[in-house]
Amino acid sequence: MGYVWTILAVTAAYLALTGNLAVNNILVGVLIASVIALLLRPTRSPVELRRVPRSLLALLQYGALLAYDIIRSGLNVARIVLDPKLPIRPGILAVPSECETDLGIALSSHALSVTPGEIVVGVDQEGTLYIHCLDASHAADTIGEAQALRRRLLSRILE
Amino acid sequence: MLQQVLVVVLNVALAIHIGLIGISVYRLWRGENLVDRLIGADLVTTLMLAILVLIALIELNALYIDVALGLAALGFVGAIALAKYIADERMF
Amino acid sequence: MDDIRTALAILAILIGTGFSLIGVIGFIRLPDVYTRLHATGKVSVFGVVLLLVAAALITPVGAGRAAVLILLLIIGGPTASHALTAAAWRAGIKPRGTIRDDLERDHPREP
Repeated sequence: MGYVWTILAVTAAYLALTGNLAVNNILVGVLIASVIALLLRPTRSPVELRRVPRSLLALLQYGALLAYDIIRSGLNVARIVLDPKLPIRPGILAVPSECETDLGIALSSHALSVTPGEIVVGVDQEGTLYIHCLDASHAADTIGEAQALRRRLLSRILE
Repeated sequence: MLQQVLVVVLNVALAIHIGLIGISVYRLWRGENLVDRLIGADLVTTLMLAILVLIALIELNALYIDVALGLAALGFVGAIALAKYIADERMF
Repeated sequence: MDDIRTALAILAILIGTGFSLIGVIGFIRLPDVYTRLHATGKVSVFGVVLLLVAAALITPVGAGRAAVLILLLIIGGPTASHALTAAAWRAGIKPRGTIRDDLERDHPREP
């Protein structure tokens, strides 16, 4: 089952890159994708087929939430950088990730790192994320809230 | 009308990005430590990507986006490998 | 229809150039390695992403390639900047002017 998803994703990327929907080109894409899937050896499918519509819906919601966060905090960082007094209060905060799987931790730290003004420095054995913030004075509560929302959407995508 | 505005905006953006590359190369040269210079090199790669995309728009030729794709992939792998080298003081 | 697309592309180019400018200004002005990564690693990546959106709007041939490049940048940019912060931490570079440092408190570095 994992092979099918890998082949589909790689073929989609190949077709997007070549921009050519002729039958020959699709066949070449599937061939290259099969070789790559054999080399990669995906272990299991992360998504079951009957849950795909709900997962896609949650993925769209997740993307929209992430885009909103990125725009809002991007403007925030722009304001901080352009301010003549440079009002930064940097600090490293510990935030528990509360995810069991490695994939969950990876996705939630990606979501944290992709928003400007926050960057993950490291993860320890218990899954606590250490986040460097540009403005650490009242960031702890807002990060916790945003993460709870994202975690709910992520669990709906993955399960 | 809008096409002429687009051409002017594209050329101004290209000039700004070339100036920014000059500034960041100077800053990279005067960097305070190794990681600082690596950040500068990453920034130069990103600005180079922006210049390639702008040239693709000025020439209306999608081939430059392929070049940008190769540069992005190489820059990503290079940054990760050099960061790992700094952290562990060995490559693998 | 074409006019709307061109106008949107002009807007995206202007905002993207602004983000690149802010990234370089932040790289010059911010005080230490960790804060500089906030400016360069992400703000300037979104500059390129907006320029690519403009490219996808104007040249239809490049839309698929632009989409793949945007995906690569959005996944790869934060990964690279996380790798650089982790490397800076492991190399023993101290953050300057922090108001709190939980990582130093929980996992103090060996002398």
